[in-house]
Amino acid sequence: MNRTGLSSSPPVAEAEALQARFAYRVTSHLTHQAAALPQDITERLRIAREQALQKAHAARTVRAPARGAVGLGPVLAWLGSGRSEESSLWLKLASFLPLIVLVSGLIAIQDWHGNNEISAAAEVDASLLADDLPPSAYSDAGFVEFLKSPRE
Amino acid sequence: MKSVERRAFKRVTYAVRDEDAALDIVQDSMIRLADKYIDRPAAELPLLFQRILSNATMDWFRRQKVRKAIVRNFSEFESSHEDGDFDLLETLATQDETSARESAADSVSRAQILLLIDSEVSKLPTRQREAFLLRYWEELDVAETASVMGCSEGSVKTHCSRAVHSLAAILKIKGITL
Repeated sequence: MNRTGLSSSPPVAEAEALQARFAYRVTSHLTHQAAALPQDITERLRIAREQALQKAHAARTVRAPARGAVGLGPVLAWLGSGRSEESSLWLKLASFLPLIVLVSGLIAIQDWHGNNEISAAAEVDASLLADDLPPSAYSDAGFVEFLKSPRE
Repeated sequence: MKSVERRAFKRVTYAVRDEDAALDIVQDSMIRLADKYIDRPAAELPLLFQRILSNATMDWFRRQKVRKAIVRNFSEFESSHEDGDFDLLETLATQDETSARESAADSVSRAQILLLIDSEVSKLPTRQREAFLLRYWEELDVAETASVMGCSEGSVKTHCSRAVHSLAAILKIKGITL
């Protein structure tokens, strides 16, 4: 005849809800308590967090120098550093910009110089071809040899 | 992270009862998280941090060579207040009633209540306290709490239930309603 005791106890779901409600009330008090931590404790926690971040940066540099900022992003974000890794990536890219401009300039100069040489040689050839050949040229052994040589 | 680190500090302080050691453990946990779990997705980090914190606390106990304390704290104590003849509903007044009753004079006693609750939570057996704080303060679900504590989900529910009933009973005895 324990039915009285059973019927008086709340259903499991209700009991769990009641338990959770009480627990959250308690933890809200704990949150108030934690928010009122002494200044020296909060400062030491802040310093600890910053030291952890510095070590994280150092670890990233040692472990994955080529990986850049991508890998540590989530950890840094969660630890609340607020520093933008994206900006450092852009800085790295920007540092290559002068080198790219220099190489492009050199290529352009070389191309321009090559074109000049070609056009100068073409002018000489054109003027030679357009000019009348003097009869004495046929008695020149070197010219005869030139005529016999295969054309490139 | 600020609120997380404060809760972490309090949780470790409950366990080791030494503020300096708690600060060291929290810092060590942050460093371990940043050092070893760089590649993990952001969503996994809170749970990982709780796990690291628990492990770091255990490491501290090991280093301190207080094995007896560990055995005592981590064994399953039955709370003396457990299964007491009380109703959880009696301890739970509604929020409206609480705020309506609160006056300027009550503010002083409210601070004392905070201290009392803090003290009673710190007196809970370690496993009960860990389960209670992870489940209801860190707001992990049962599976996550079990994962951090390295026990079954059933154990988590049992620890939480016992912790809640212990706290409710002691607060009722002291005439505190939440």
